[in-house]
Amino acid sequence: MMKAPVGGAMHQYRIPAISSLALAFALALPMQAQAAGTRAGSTISNTASASYDSGGGTQTVDSNQVDLRVDELLDVTVDSSDPADVPTTPGATAQLLTFSVTNNGNGEESFALSTVANGGGDDYDPAVTQIYIDNGDGVFDANTDTLYTPGANDPVLDPDESVTIFVLSTTPGGVADGDRGTVSLVAASRTGTGAPGTSFTGQGEGGGDAVVGSTGADGQDQGAFVVSAATVSLVKSAVVVDPFGGSEPVPGATITYTIVATVAGSGSVNSLAITDNIPADTSYVAGSITLGGTAQTDAADTDAGDFNGTRINVALGTVAGGQTRTVTFRTTID
Amino acid sequence: MRLFFIALAAAILPGQALAANQVALDNNVFVERVSTDASGKQRVLLEEPKVVVPGDKLVFVLNYRNASAQPADKFVITNPMPAAVSFADAGDTRPFVSVDGGKTWGLLPEMTVRMSDGSSRAAQPADVTHVRWAFQKPIPAGGTGKLMFRGIVK
Repeated sequence: MMKAPVGGAMHQYRIPAISSLALAFALALPMQAQAAGTRAGSTISNTASASYDSGGGTQTVDSNQVDLRVDELLDVTVDSSDPADVPTTPGATAQLLTFSVTNNGNGEESFALSTVANGGGDDYDPAVTQIYIDNGDGVFDANTDTLYTPGANDPVLDPDESVTIFVLSTTPGGVADGDRGTVSLVAASRTGTGAPGTSFTGQGEGGGDAVVGSTGADGQDQGAFVVSAATVSLVKSAVVVDPFGGSEPVPGATITYTIVATVAGSGSVNSLAITDNIPADTSYVAGSITLGGTAQTDAADTDAGDFNGTRINVALGTVAGGQTRTVTFRTTID
Repeated sequence: MRLFFIALAAAILPGQALAANQVALDNNVFVERVSTDASGKQRVLLEEPKVVVPGDKLVFVLNYRNASAQPADKFVITNPMPAAVSFADAGDTRPFVSVDGGKTWGLLPEMTVRMSDGSSRAAQPADVTHVRWAFQKPIPAGGTGKLMFRGIVK
């Protein structure tokens, strides 16, 4: 690795005036993203030493020491933690958006939280009802997480520390399927915010100044809801076959009812069930329920259909928008 | 070769009794501040800071002067990087650097860093722990010079 015991440089270094030096190398420095970095209030000390021989053996000399105090840098970022738009339904309450707030500064700092729901660029404004500070498990629970009150319990974060924030909203009743509504969470340094480089004298950790960093000491990010509504329509039809090969509704004729359930919209419906009473003066034909062409037993058991003596019932469970379910059953005219 | 330099490093550790102060070494630190004027042109200013923040770019300038009547031979200047400063570059002064706390020395492109899994990778500027200039010729009586390197506040 070494080429000579003493070497690698010429005898006399001649470098240009400092200002032009700086210009020459300004672009060579990487503009790296800083983690929190050196803790505010600490001191950077630099000393160089030289050794030489003037004929009387090796002598050493130390330079003067330069001390620099590290001031507090105010930086914060907010990130939405929801990987995609969060589905909601018209009129739904306590709809959850999740954010993380990170102190990118180098001192302990408290942050004021607020939300913006009318920022535009969406179809409706969610009504923000509460902000909660997570207890550390990352899962929203109103019983264990802390309800945020501005100025009263602003989250205090160490350098590089993050906290999860939950924002609860109510979806207005009048929204339509597919509408988007956004909410931004804003976190602002309590010491102050402003253009990068703005300085707050004496307000930094460790007694120094606090200086606004590249984030402006406030950060925000947007989360979004998308209305995912679904509607169900039922169409019932009947076909009569009489004992004589015709289609007259005479005693002894068989009526085959067909019920088609159509789910429309981008959402889905849960626990969808089709129930139909057996009409008066008709008798249910045992074992005649079908779902999508598959026969169902009359018992209330593992299959979807059952008959309890007065009505048929077919449990369809969760059906997504764009799908249909077809149920048939038969009766005879008494 | 390596043993020689370990011995040399030991010889210049601070705390030893200093001989007559025939060589002076002056240490200055500047911070680069970039300002943009109304026409959008960027200007780089060097300021002598008392306070810095993470991300600030520092310029370390070492001025040396041989005040004695004798030439100073085997002239070596060593600057350990402050722990909170990441080395960036040394302009065209081509110093030796150490990436292992002063045990071994070489030009940065020749240095490697041993990884925890036993493999090695090329050293990066941020790995530098010490910067050293070793002069091949004596500094004549009255000779002066200037060295610099740059770092970033971690």
